[in-house]
Order: sequence, then structure tokens, then C-alpha cells
Amino acid sequence: MLALVLLLTFVVLLMGVLVAGLLRSHADILRALHDLGAGVGDPTAEASPRADHRHQGDHVDARPVAVPFTVGPPLPAERNHSWAPTLAGVTPQGDALAVAVTGTDTLTLVAFLSSGCSTCAGFWDALRRPDDVGLPDGIRLVVVTKGPEMEIPAEIRAKTSPGLLVIMSTEAWGDYEVPGSPFFALVDGRSGRRIGEGVAQHFSQVVELVRRAQADQQPFPLGSRGRASAAGLDGPARESANDQELQAAGIYPGHESLYPKSLDDIFPPGPSPRLAAEQARRAG
Amino acid sequence: MARLRAHGIGVTLPDGFEGRIFVRPQGPDGTSYPVAHFATFPLPADVADFGGGAVTLMGPGDIFAVLFEYGPESVGKALFARQGMQRSLTSSDFRPTLLRRGLGGQSGTQWFFTEAGRPFTFYAVLGSHARRGFLVPQLNTLLAALTVSPQPVVAIPGAAPWN
Repeated sequence: MLALVLLLTFVVLLMGVLVAGLLRSHADILRALHDLGAGVGDPTAEASPRADHRHQGDHVDARPVAVPFTVGPPLPAERNHSWAPTLAGVTPQGDALAVAVTGTDTLTLVAFLSSGCSTCAGFWDALRRPDDVGLPDGIRLVVVTKGPEMEIPAEIRAKTSPGLLVIMSTEAWGDYEVPGSPFFALVDGRSGRRIGEGVAQHFSQVVELVRRAQADQQPFPLGSRGRASAAGLDGPARESANDQELQAAGIYPGHESLYPKSLDDIFPPGPSPRLAAEQARRAG
Repeated sequence: MARLRAHGIGVTLPDGFEGRIFVRPQGPDGTSYPVAHFATFPLPADVADFGGGAVTLMGPGDIFAVLFEYGPESVGKALFARQGMQRSLTSSDFRPTLLRRGLGGQSGTQWFFTEAGRPFTFYAVLGSHARRGFLVPQLNTLLAALTVSPQPVVAIPGAAPWN
């Protein structure tokens, strides 16, 4: 009986030591996570004295820091800038090529394509005759693939035509934060900004988006301005005149046209009214 | 700023410039040497060696420049006696009469030289002779950024003659 009591006492003591060790280990892990900024509680709180002491010698700031946790390039919705650097790299023929997309009056459509992606195949086929893809006049088309370290130049060469500007540059993919291929960016050379970007399944979708963007770039014709602009009104007088004009057209607060549900509500399919009017003006 | 390097020619392009450094496909009985085109306007896909197809697109504020290499048989000829590329040009170096294609209002300059043992000509066109005082400093920025390194030359019969 005495032996049993001693054995149980020993087992209880042993379990106590193990539990204490586990709790200490858990505390160490929590402290380490807290030092990394991922701990429980207020991450802006001062670091533990132990952490400060640990880094005292090399003067490292031991305050909690944000730990970036991202995989791959940011998605379009996560980006916060629209700069458009010069596209520079090599051609599939091994020459060097740099295309400046800013500082000009033109719009540049940059098509980021790969040799291997199945969706890109349709775009490569269409681009064998770049003049026939239906892009509006004045649009400069540049195809950018990843650099020779990630693409085989001979494969890209086989997919291109003589009149097509093709740059192989992995750096450009990084600069333009391309999440995958195919991906398109439309750059306004005048403002030096990307004014549109995204993916598409067919070139016709890209062409339509470019048409709309180009129409938006046209200077607003004086004749189609509202009466407020024509009268040179500004400030409250301009707002009041605009309200009167909207009310005269039957558009009051809460009107459904003020709350578009999709892009098609703003840009109806087909040529934009402004572009159509411009084309009619030129034809006339 | 974008960096370009190919065929022994390198450049860090100043803002507003684009360019290409290329070698045309060799003909059946000839050879081809590097050509570098630089411009402050969108270069068409196919531009002739000295700007045919491009200079007609220039605006008054534009610059077009060519660095054109000749065959090794031109080394030592009197035309290429000048050693080193001219790195700083002045307004007086440009004349409307120096244009390969005399387009109204434009102005040009051309220099022949040998650099790194390679014979070159540098030809530049300004969109406006009247604005050369504004455009030449921009061109000088490009010239300062150009580098040429020695390149092993493959001797092929029928190389482009210097004249």
C-alpha cells in the first residue's frame, strides 16, 4: 500500500513537472509571436524586457512589426498606384528594345502574354495580323512576355509577326504588377498613367474597352456641354443649374440612373455616344 | 530609367526617350552590323537605318538619333579618323542642310568616328531647327549615357562599305 502511494505521488509530481514545462514552452511561443507582431493582445505594446535585452547588443528595434503574409503579386484590387514605366527588355531576336509609354499623346495597349497559357493562344493567333485585330487608329500595341530566363525566345519568335512590337522582360511584369497571363494594361501617354487594366478572354473584349477609353480621352465638345458650362457658371450657381437641368429631364434624387449596377449601365454595348457623335461629325 | 544593352552598345535612356539596338537579318551575300535608334516619340516597328519612316512622324519638340556601325574594313579610313564619339553637341552643330531627308523646319547633324575599335556614324535629327537650343541639351544627355564596348567582329564577305 505504501509503495502504491509513493508511486502515485511520484507520478503526480512527474505530471506536474511536464505540465509546467508545457506551459513554459507555450508562453515562450506566445512571446515570440508577440515580438513578431502576430501575438494575442495589443501588438503596439512595448516588447518584453527579455526581447529588449536580447537585441541590446546590436541595437535592433524589438518592437512588434507587421509580418507581410502575401503569396504572389497583388491582385488588381489591392494595388494603389498606376504608374507606367518604360518597357525595356530584349526582343525574341535578341535585340534590345525600350518603348516609352508616357510623354506622348498616344494610348498604348500593353498585352502581357505567355507562350504556354492556353488562353493566350487565341491572342497570339489574332496578333499574327496586328492590323486586323480591330484596334482603333492611334493605339500603340506592345506585347510583353517574361524574359529569356523564363521564356524560350524561339517559341515567342514563332508566334510573332514582323510588324508586332514584342519585348521580353520579366522586370516589366513586376513593374506593372501582372498577376498572370493574359493581362492587359492601357496607358495614357499624356497623363503617364495606366487608365485601365485587366484580363480578357477574346481580343474583341479588349478592343471594346480600348474604344471606350479612347472616346473618354477625346476633348469634350463645347456644343455638348451643359448650360452651366456654356454660361460660365461655377460653384453653387453651377450646381443649382445642373439640378434644374436634371429635374427638367425627370431625374430626381433616388432616380435609378444615378445608381448604376454594372459597367453596361454607364457604357451601353456598342460604340459610345460620344465616339459615335465624333465619328458622325468627322464623316459629316 | 530604362537600360538597354545589345551588340556591344549600351545606354541608360534619359526620361522621354525610347530606343532599340538591333542587327538586321543578313542577306544571302552580305552581312549586317548593329544599329541603334533613339527617339522621343513612338518609333514605328520598321524604321530605315537613318530614320526613313520615322522622321516624318516627328513633332517640333522631338529628337531622333541613330548610331550606325560600319564594317571592320572601314577602320583606319580617313572618314573614321576621329577617335571617340562626340559627347556634347552645340546648337551650331545642327543645320537644316545636313538632313538626309530635307523636311521643312527640321535640323540635323552627323559625325563619323571610331570608338572601341569600331567604326560608327552618329546622325541626329531635331524636330525644329528653331528649338535646337532646347533640344540639343536633351540629346547631349543621351550621348553622355551611350557606351560602346569592343566586340569581336565576324569577318563575312560583302560587308557594308563605308561609302
